[in-house]
Amino acid sequence: MVAIMGSSGSGKSTLLNILGLLDGFDEGEYMLSGESMAGLNERSSARYRSKFLGFVFQSFNLINFKTAAENVALPLYYQGVSRKERNKRAIDFLKKVGLNDWSNHLPNQLSGGQKQRVAIARALVGKPKVILADEPTGALDSKTSYEVMGLLRELNKEGITMVVVTHENDIAEMCDRTINLHDGQIA
Amino acid sequence: MFNRDTWLEIAYTVLSHPLRTALTGVSIALGVFILVVMQGLGFGLQNGVKKQFADDAVNSIWVQAGRTQLAYKGNMANKSVKIRENDVEAMFEEMDTVYASSRRIRTWGVQMEYGDKAGSYPLRGVDPDHQMLENTKLTDGRYINQRDIVEETKVAVLGATIVEEVYQGKDPMGTHIMIGGVLFSVVGTFDDPASRWENKMAVVPYSTAKKLFRSGRDKVDQVILGTGDMEVVETVSLTDRLMVWLKERKSVHPEDARGIWMENNNEEYQKYQNIFLGIELFIWGLGLLTLLAGAMGVANILAIAVKERTKEIGVRKALGATGLSIVGLVVQESLSLMLVSGSLGLVVGVWLLEIVSPMIAHEYFQNPQVDFRIAMVALGVLTVVGVLSGVGPAIRAVSIKPVEALRDE
Repeated sequence: MVAIMGSSGSGKSTLLNILGLLDGFDEGEYMLSGESMAGLNERSSARYRSKFLGFVFQSFNLINFKTAAENVALPLYYQGVSRKERNKRAIDFLKKVGLNDWSNHLPNQLSGGQKQRVAIARALVGKPKVILADEPTGALDSKTSYEVMGLLRELNKEGITMVVVTHENDIAEMCDRTINLHDGQIA
Repeated sequence: MFNRDTWLEIAYTVLSHPLRTALTGVSIALGVFILVVMQGLGFGLQNGVKKQFADDAVNSIWVQAGRTQLAYKGNMANKSVKIRENDVEAMFEEMDTVYASSRRIRTWGVQMEYGDKAGSYPLRGVDPDHQMLENTKLTDGRYINQRDIVEETKVAVLGATIVEEVYQGKDPMGTHIMIGGVLFSVVGTFDDPASRWENKMAVVPYSTAKKLFRSGRDKVDQVILGTGDMEVVETVSLTDRLMVWLKERKSVHPEDARGIWMENNNEEYQKYQNIFLGIELFIWGLGLLTLLAGAMGVANILAIAVKERTKEIGVRKALGATGLSIVGLVVQESLSLMLVSGSLGLVVGVWLLEIVSPMIAHEYFQNPQVDFRIAMVALGVLTVVGVLSGVGPAIRAVSIKPVEALRDE
């Protein structure tokens, strides 16, 4: 579980986007699960994303006309998992983040912490190797922040790599290792 | 691409924006509706006028003589011109090919009696080709044949009105009818639905009519010439040539408009066909432009929708959606919107025509209906337009970079 810290403009989000295959890179090398990620086309990066990566965003980015369960099931839809299996797994993962009773709620019927937990369940449902979290607690109060970080820690113990971008020291301290970025360089 | 999940996804996005969907749907449905209704009305008009032509064969030239207007070659004006049998024969020689022809004797108000019923009807003496040239459909028996002409037989073919009024539902076949005081045996009956006038006629052989009702006088009232499969331009030049030739032969002034009268049905029909082609093109143009306006509406609304859903599309991409699946989503959304609302417009349009058509039955306006092919073409056009109007917004959707889409405002 790694925290990435740095002032704004230091390149945290850029690094995360590159790690998340949402953005290309010009120099250096990026090995994911033993394979080089250089020069991927749109199609294969989409495939790697759904195979290895899960995303958690500061503003949750849930699709607001879909229920919690449908949001969680969405990555499976793009993996071509059958509808029945999708729904079953979505409910399983909602259970895991403690939102079993909220599966049929729309995002705007949920609190910030609940939304982020739905987002985490969505990141988990594809059984990723790495979860990339961009300021996952940025929009949450500190109590909820600690709950969400606790959840991420637990998942880390289950063997999923966590990369958390944050600018809050106490959040960074909950991670195993902190990387400080300064003007695009690791300090 | 066409599995249940994709459609559920589309139904979801379409139905979750009811106002947007309704506005787009209405504009498309209206476009198709206007196209269908106008097609139907145009078709009705065409049907009506075509039926007027169904009375006579379209490929025919009708020749008839009258009184001269101008003095010529020592003849005073107002001379009655008569076409003789030898004129008709010379006319055939003048033409390169005679596809079909019939002389015609016309007599009005001939007394016809059967049993205790009687009435006054027009009579025609004709040649066998008359059946084809007048587009006569026999309902029973046979028409006048060549033997009747040669042997001057007393046979008659009766129109439906005579059968109805004189025979009162009895079968006229094989009976004898008194025509102008002479007994004729009935060998056939006909019914010409395009002309009530025609149905009042009794048709007898030309030679018989000449002998019995014209006292053997040699005067042909009308000559009908079939033009077979000649091109319209050829028939026009043939008519012009015959006109000049016949006027010269009968000593009628070349500028005289009444002495000799000819009508080329080919040309008349061609004129109407050109008008219809014009109307048809106009209707199609208008309908397609309406559809185009609708399609632009759809493209516009989709473009806004894509803009609105920038973030959603970014999220989908981050969750593993490929560019193709995003294009598919947008294009299929547009396509299903188009087809569903287009079909709705089609159904309502057809329904309206069904309701309205019995109310506006008119001689020149009959059976307004939508050709099945036109409905298919309209749906085809909708499909193409639906895909095309989806492509622009879809490309924009694909070019959305998740990074930018997901950046917080």
